[in-house]
Amino acid sequence: MPFRGSAYIWVMRTSLSRLYNGNRKTSDSEWYSLGDARRPLHETAVLVEDVVHTQLINLLQQAAEVSQLRGARVITPEDLLFLMRKDKKKLRRLLKYMFIRDYKSKIVKGIDEDDLLEDKLSGSNNTNKRQKIAQDFLNSIDQTGELLAMFEDDEVDEVKQERMERAERQTRIMDSAQYAEFCESRQLSFSKKASKFRDWLDCSSMEIKPNVVAMEILAYLAYETVAQLVDLALLVRQDMVTKAGDPFSHAISATFIQYHNSAESTAACGVEAHSDAIQPCHIREAIRRYSHKIGPLSPFTNAYRRSGMAFLAC
Amino acid sequence: MASAPRPERDLRLLAGCLPPYPPPPPTVGLLSMEQQETYLELYLDQCAAQDDLAPPRSPLFNPVVPYGMYILNASNPDTAFNSNPEVKETSGDFSSVDLSFLPDEVTQENKDQPVISSRHETEENSESQSPQSRLPSQDIGLGLNSSSLSNSHSQLHPGDTDSVQPSPEKPNSDSLSLAPITPMTPMTPVSECCGIVPQLQNIVSTVNLACKLDLKKIALHAKNAEYNPKRFAAVIMRIREPRTTALIFSSGKMVCTGAKSEEQSRLAARKYARVVQKLGFPARFLDFKIQNMVGSCDVRFPIRLEGLVLTHQQFSSYEPELFPGLIYRMVKPRIVLLIFVSGKVVLTGAKERSEIYEAFENIYPILKGFKKA
Repeated sequence: MPFRGSAYIWVMRTSLSRLYNGNRKTSDSEWYSLGDARRPLHETAVLVEDVVHTQLINLLQQAAEVSQLRGARVITPEDLLFLMRKDKKKLRRLLKYMFIRDYKSKIVKGIDEDDLLEDKLSGSNNTNKRQKIAQDFLNSIDQTGELLAMFEDDEVDEVKQERMERAERQTRIMDSAQYAEFCESRQLSFSKKASKFRDWLDCSSMEIKPNVVAMEILAYLAYETVAQLVDLALLVRQDMVTKAGDPFSHAISATFIQYHNSAESTAACGVEAHSDAIQPCHIREAIRRYSHKIGPLSPFTNAYRRSGMAFLAC
Repeated sequence: MASAPRPERDLRLLAGCLPPYPPPPPTVGLLSMEQQETYLELYLDQCAAQDDLAPPRSPLFNPVVPYGMYILNASNPDTAFNSNPEVKETSGDFSSVDLSFLPDEVTQENKDQPVISSRHETEENSESQSPQSRLPSQDIGLGLNSSSLSNSHSQLHPGDTDSVQPSPEKPNSDSLSLAPITPMTPMTPVSECCGIVPQLQNIVSTVNLACKLDLKKIALHAKNAEYNPKRFAAVIMRIREPRTTALIFSSGKMVCTGAKSEEQSRLAARKYARVVQKLGFPARFLDFKIQNMVGSCDVRFPIRLEGLVLTHQQFSSYEPELFPGLIYRMVKPRIVLLIFVSGKVVLTGAKERSEIYEAFENIYPILKGFKKA
């Protein structure tokens, strides 16, 4: 994997806002919270939304194939975990997310008596259900023991760490009004309005549909995709700034320079491009570098990538 | 009633669980002027006494509720067992102490019914089950830092003959302060946190009624009860004062939620037990235990959670897209705090009030360090 950078999700905000209300003004403020400049580019948002959508649809189709193999009637979280089995770090992040979700429901349940009643009424086995699902499944597919070892693994997740550090750096310089806005936009997620997310994904044409926990995971993966994209795009943008005395400036690839030039020309045409916003060219370059079609081993990458686009989330 | 101290009392001594200063005198409005003064004097004497006394002696005094205090609802016909005339002088309008004998709205008040009071319960407890059943509640009482009423009922009998009249040696420590305003730590600490004291929002407690229950019968005869066996195997009952909800299982176990203080939780649990009793079941009141306490407060400044999650990674998790608050797992005391950007803090997972106060005192300086200007 070429660029395991870390960054945070600004683009998601915009995608979400388009999802929810298509209002440009709102989307700007949401972008902001994600990590982009104060006024993000509409084009970038559209592009990222497209990318995320495509990737999710592909992922969903692959998951459907897996469940068909099992003869199941719904897409379950196990199918998604199976698809992610190759990338341990991302799988670990997903598992951590599931556990935190379980833990949060447990705590919130203890606080409000109504929640406690609801939980009791809905059946007794709700605590740690996601954790149980994950553990049982990984238990069943684990041949070498390395998947199960992830449960005990307490290594720091570098990507997550860098995201946290970035957020901390950004928030340190904000004033309280900006910070409030930032926080509000960070709270947006694909899982908040599950029905809209479902519609956006448009599962209606598929025979096998995901169940509730699988939808949660998909929402999380969408979020992660956007995060990765932004991470990579920020790295790309950083690379583009030619620093005087940089010893590697001669090694920047030709296609990259082409993108760079096209960005400049659009700017020359008078498109309102704020200097610190993520441009579509950054996104495209990031995807290109990620796609395994470059590099010495590209002719030998497996058929798993036949969809033509590498999954950013897994 | 034995006049010698019961063995349980000695065990209390040995437990060495010494609550620090007793809570302040009961709140106004419950007492007449003379009583307030008496209590104030007693309280001050108590504080002075505690300074002088060696610690092991103090537990003798603290959890004991003077008999007079318990027999307070002189107006209530149910408390007919009050046979001590002397006590009546000192008892006043303490009807708020033991309201489990007051009529509940859910059932008919039957004045001819023999008093199945906690007195009988505790006698049964001590006679049939003896130390086992009483000790847990006493230990819990001790653990509950003497500011709660939970001791009052179970301590009644050991206390009664000895403390017929409130005397300087028998301070009425825990009893009536239904909702002590200050924490149970010694006088000063509250000021460290600029006087912010977490308020209790919800208490979850359990108690064992120790008899098999016919849930259908309960649901049919009790007014505020719902029972849907297909959905959930318990009766859900609610009372308005204190505003709580109870889940009553056929095994006789009961969960009581929604109270805002330990005393209220116990009171409510007793009310539910009373309801069940009145329906003809031989309900008792065993092993009352507070399972969880939730408190909340406001530090009144915005907090930069990104900084907090970075520096306290081992304890915190902050996923704003999942939950707007930072979840902080404090190790000592073992409390979970939910910290929000606005400055609101929710503390949960406590078994005792002091844990909540301690946790807040621990977190406050940390939060101040991440104050968002």
